[in-house]
Amino acid sequence: MTTPDQNSRDPRRDEVIAGEYVLGVLSAEDRRKVEARLRNDRVFAAMVNRWEENLSTINHELETMPPSPRVYSVIEQRIFEPATRQARPQRSIWASLPFWRGAALAMTALSVGLVALGPEIFRSAPPAPEQIAELAGTGSPMGLVAHFDAAKGMLMMTPVAAKQESAKSLELWLVEDGKAPVSLGVLPQSGDGMIRIPDAMRPRLRGAVLAVSVEPLGGSPTGVATGPVIASGRARSF
Amino acid sequence: MRLRGRKGHSVRDDEISYLIGRISLKDRQAFRRLYDLTCAKLFPICLRMLGRREDAEEALQEIYVKIWQRADRFAPGETSAFAWLAAIARHHAIDVIRARRPVASDIEEAYDIADTDPSPEENSIQRSEGRRIEGCLRRLETDKASAVRAAYVEGLSYEELATRHGVPLNTMKTWLRRSLLKLRECLGS
Repeated sequence: MTTPDQNSRDPRRDEVIAGEYVLGVLSAEDRRKVEARLRNDRVFAAMVNRWEENLSTINHELETMPPSPRVYSVIEQRIFEPATRQARPQRSIWASLPFWRGAALAMTALSVGLVALGPEIFRSAPPAPEQIAELAGTGSPMGLVAHFDAAKGMLMMTPVAAKQESAKSLELWLVEDGKAPVSLGVLPQSGDGMIRIPDAMRPRLRGAVLAVSVEPLGGSPTGVATGPVIASGRARSF
Repeated sequence: MRLRGRKGHSVRDDEISYLIGRISLKDRQAFRRLYDLTCAKLFPICLRMLGRREDAEEALQEIYVKIWQRADRFAPGETSAFAWLAAIARHHAIDVIRARRPVASDIEEAYDIADTDPSPEENSIQRSEGRRIEGCLRRLETDKASAVRAAYVEGLSYEELATRHGVPLNTMKTWLRRSLLKLRECLGS
């Protein structure tokens, strides 16, 4: 098995290995080698995906046939029950003593900061970055807004919901295994794509899934994602 | 791409894609809906490979647990939603078969895949033939096309395919590898 080295790549041999993997003729050991390579070699992974896509229509030749109804209840038990067992009643942050201590400290720090800054904060702010373009792809639910900060020469690209009949927002969600998704906020349309994560939420980012959904302007009215999820990925440890 | 549902009406791939997105947010209703829409398509894939109904149902359970766990890895640009689900189902079933009937590893050996470049005329015929797998399989010799199909649908190993077709193991490897390159040529890249 070749290493994922771009220089020693033989595309025809790789096409064959990718095709053999998708057909399923390889041994268990070779299948694990291919899967290890898939994780690190995007070009090879694209070959495998292409075979999956091309060959998948063969499956439509098979007559559809439902499994017995008990299959779903077993799946449901396996997926949902461990989560229900683990779930602990979560105390509201407003009832948390450490939160109020922290909040009091923060207020003190803020007032000290204001005194230290003095008249500085009343000076006129530098000109705000100006929106200069909206970028959209055909059929893509996501677009990009370009803001240009003329003073610094910086162009900022912010993801936004693509223009639709009614204005939409992109909302970011934190999804932990076995728990309901928590909103991390709406992606700012005018800023630089930064979202401040509350202290209490920060440790929860590790290993969780971040997902973006399209919501009514200003974010989901219910606190639960209502629109299609257009992007998601698991956060690495940091 | 559309896939045919149980009662003749077809299910749109973008609905499946939407549901997978919802499942990545741990939406249980979306999961139930995806199961209802797709189980009668994925079950026969398992049944054809594993043979026994109980084995196929056990595999199906594992497959939907994987779909629940891996929904966040689905990237709509890479494959269609149905191809993604079918890949999870097939690879799980193939792993079950390989664990049941182990075969020798051979990925290190030399690949005898020379002399498969199609002639220019062949190339132009292939292009006008279209890029669908059915059309491209028809362009292969009958026994080679049926070996490709049996590998994909039944999960047969090289050894099992060689026995079925009554040819030496190495001949079967050469058949399939050359067929794969011809299919790639025909399907376009």
